[in-house]
Amino acid sequence: MTEPITLTVNGLDYPVDVDMGRNLLSVLRTEIGLTGTKEGCDDSECGACMVLLDDQPVNSCSYLALQAEGKSVTTIEGVMPADGLHAIQRSLLEEGGVQCGFCTPGIIMSTRALLDGNPSPSEEEIRIGLSGNLCRCTGYAKILAAVIRTASDN
Amino acid sequence: MPLLTESKVFIRPDGPDKVTGSGRYVADITLTGMLTAKFLYAGISHAEIIRLDVSAARRVPGVLAVLTHEDVPERRFGSIADRTLFAKDVVRFEGEVVAAVAAIDAEAAQKALDAVVVEYKPLQVVTDLEEAIADGAPLVHEGWADYEAANVERNGNVASFTSMTRGDVEKGMAQADHVVFGRYVADATHAAPIEPRGVLAQWEGDRVTIWSSTQVPFQARDGVCETLDLPTNRVRIIVPHMGGGFGGKCGFHYEAHVAALARVARRPVRLVFSRREEFIAPDRRREGMIIEITTGLKSDGTLTARRVRVLLDNGAYSADSSFFPHMAAMHTLGPYKIDNIHAEAFSIYTNHQPSGSVRAPTAPQTCWALESHTDELAAVVGMDPVAFRQQNCIDTGETGVAGQVYDEIGLQECIREAVSGIDYGQDLEDDEAIGVAVGWWPSFPGASGAFVKIDRDGKGVITTGAQECGTGSVMTLPILAAAELGMEPEDFELVYQDTSVAPYDEGATGSQTILNNGRATVEAARQIAVQLKNLAAKKLEASPDDIVLADGRAHVAGSPESAVSIVELAGVAAGGELLLGKGSGTPPEYPSAVGVACVGDQGLSGWAGPQFSCHAVKIRLDRETGVVRVLDVSAAHDSGVIINPIGASGQVEGGVMMGIGQALTEGTVYDEDGAQKNPAFLDYKLQTMADAPPIRVHFAEVHTPNMGPHGSKPIAEAPNVATAAAISNAITKLTGQPVPRLPMTAQRVWETMRGGGDG
Repeated sequence: MTEPITLTVNGLDYPVDVDMGRNLLSVLRTEIGLTGTKEGCDDSECGACMVLLDDQPVNSCSYLALQAEGKSVTTIEGVMPADGLHAIQRSLLEEGGVQCGFCTPGIIMSTRALLDGNPSPSEEEIRIGLSGNLCRCTGYAKILAAVIRTASDN
Repeated sequence: MPLLTESKVFIRPDGPDKVTGSGRYVADITLTGMLTAKFLYAGISHAEIIRLDVSAARRVPGVLAVLTHEDVPERRFGSIADRTLFAKDVVRFEGEVVAAVAAIDAEAAQKALDAVVVEYKPLQVVTDLEEAIADGAPLVHEGWADYEAANVERNGNVASFTSMTRGDVEKGMAQADHVVFGRYVADATHAAPIEPRGVLAQWEGDRVTIWSSTQVPFQARDGVCETLDLPTNRVRIIVPHMGGGFGGKCGFHYEAHVAALARVARRPVRLVFSRREEFIAPDRRREGMIIEITTGLKSDGTLTARRVRVLLDNGAYSADSSFFPHMAAMHTLGPYKIDNIHAEAFSIYTNHQPSGSVRAPTAPQTCWALESHTDELAAVVGMDPVAFRQQNCIDTGETGVAGQVYDEIGLQECIREAVSGIDYGQDLEDDEAIGVAVGWWPSFPGASGAFVKIDRDGKGVITTGAQECGTGSVMTLPILAAAELGMEPEDFELVYQDTSVAPYDEGATGSQTILNNGRATVEAARQIAVQLKNLAAKKLEASPDDIVLADGRAHVAGSPESAVSIVELAGVAAGGELLLGKGSGTPPEYPSAVGVACVGDQGLSGWAGPQFSCHAVKIRLDRETGVVRVLDVSAAHDSGVIINPIGASGQVEGGVMMGIGQALTEGTVYDEDGAQKNPAFLDYKLQTMADAPPIRVHFAEVHTPNMGPHGSKPIAEAPNVATAAAISNAITKLTGQPVPRLPMTAQRVWETMRGGGDG
């Protein structure tokens, strides 16, 4: 059974008909057409599907689309300002924190949530803040360096 | 001179796609009319198919194709041709594909799967390696004597076998003051890329285009051609962005299934795996092993003889695993000076998921066993384990276990730098320890090709078969081309991962891109360099031999003011003879290994461009719980001259982290019927950023002759060899004896401390 709802994603309203059991990730990727948010496990274990819901990080694979109505959803496509890359995006590239890139959108969303709430996190706080995002390529070293740099540039 | 100045920040060209979410991976691509594919898996590890009826499935509304073995040509494939696209008569592991469907959505596809009628008669399941090779064991492949295979012995459940002999091992043991035996058991692990694989196929007329998350597009193409009877020029494989491979996406996987579905349905069809499927189905699991090592040594630490026996869990089919026994034998013998060796290694058919190349196949497990054993040897003669390795490891000009005399190598520098990087002699708390291990890994010369062109504005395009699964081809190849032409790496874009556009390349396998595609790219760029020098010579009224390409200009040697820009020369060329280069080159030859006798030789006794490493780790052990935490890692690598420093250190850090996972938390658990009990990230634990220690990286930049461009060697797999071994040696210092089973989980560490342990 489908339900007509309006989802607010990256500041735009999208009217969509969604099955009540559909997760937010699937609706973002198909009906709304934003494929930057990735599915790695469908189990809230890898963090590749991380989006912000009213600025809080959420694994969109385990969140019903219906529950997101009335909230502000931010995806990776909504991170980049008009005048170029966001500081997190730039730092990740310059520090070499991107390899295959599949975890990268989720890492960026978690980092943004972390830094929005705590602009000067300690290294330990960064490690804990990003521990819900699995990366198989980098060993995390260069991602950590990029987040530290973003925070210190703030 | 480094190819990049130290201050230079070269952003990977595919980076902006990846940080903005605009880069497309297979699961992100949709085509009009596209259907969803799903597979019916055996769900049982060994059984005879006594009934398979898909007629009801074909009648499910919204279902456009249902396929079984009856709908594709009868073809066997694999390094031993033991595999078919769909099971016929017998299923041999739980993830074997029995049927495939394509439907308008996932729900309809699932209904079709539910409507397939399949009845099995269970057969005896083979899971235990020792039992599998005992007399009278039930056979996984009753008829495998008829399968095509090169250079393998056929004997019961032994899929492939190697024996290596050099010197006289009995005599060597007799000369020893001590003979030490160790037995080690490793569980299976997984590549576990964060992107589950995807395949999308679309036919136009009699040509099919397949977008696939494969590390080896040409091998995937050849698999499609072989199994569906198609010529190579009718099959085009394109790899869009790819979310990691680590060997797990090597080989030919599901491209033919999806192409066959799309042909029948007359629609584009896309398959995207769930995480569970990613765990159970592909024929690319890192195999479980039993490793037995006996070493004879003198009281002064001299090694006199080594005998090894390795049993590898081949699983049900042999994707590319027939060379694994040879690799396992070499790695269990190790980078040591021993004149008397005998090794036997067996890859054994079982009813587990098939094994295949996962990052440095066979090496982490065998290195873990050998290096744990090596610390025991040092202890027996009362030597420090580092000094023991410095005494016994091979160095430049010395002879290794297979009789090969090594050219310039940096293993001794790796040992020195790794222990210095971790401050080996530091005062430690009584719950802390430092462990050290060495590793090695060969390079794989092979055919490869590249085209380079420079357009009218002086911007270049490298068209290459090389693959990019995160490993950095997009950086290394532009760096190499730019260096030949006096340009900047940013001046080049890559067109890659498209089998109909680019020349052949083996793909992201065997860490071979820098070695083989690097050679091809350099050769192609050199052809353009000749063209540019000729154009400049005319313009500057000089001899082409005196023209130097540097800083975006061509100038006369000794007269930098007499110059013309490459942009200007490119403009001239655009109106005449175009700037086009093609390269392939002759791969370096494999060195011969003298004095080693091999059965089942896969030609890998003589190692081309061997890479060396030494990892040193500091750990803390919670004696109450057995939980080990890695506090610090120092990793030193001889991968020759480093072309792309940020990419190379990224490979080491990632390889080390994967090694920590394999050491402590990653291990597949099977039930007694051969099914995986933990095919999910909840129970198969990868390391997180909260677990990640600082990793110091040192490169012993030995200029390696006759190997990759500029004296380079490959890098991607080598960092995944020695970490688990180093952690084992640190744990042993605190537990008193090695944990005999990998992964060394908290429970196993705890049991070892209490004198138990399930070896």
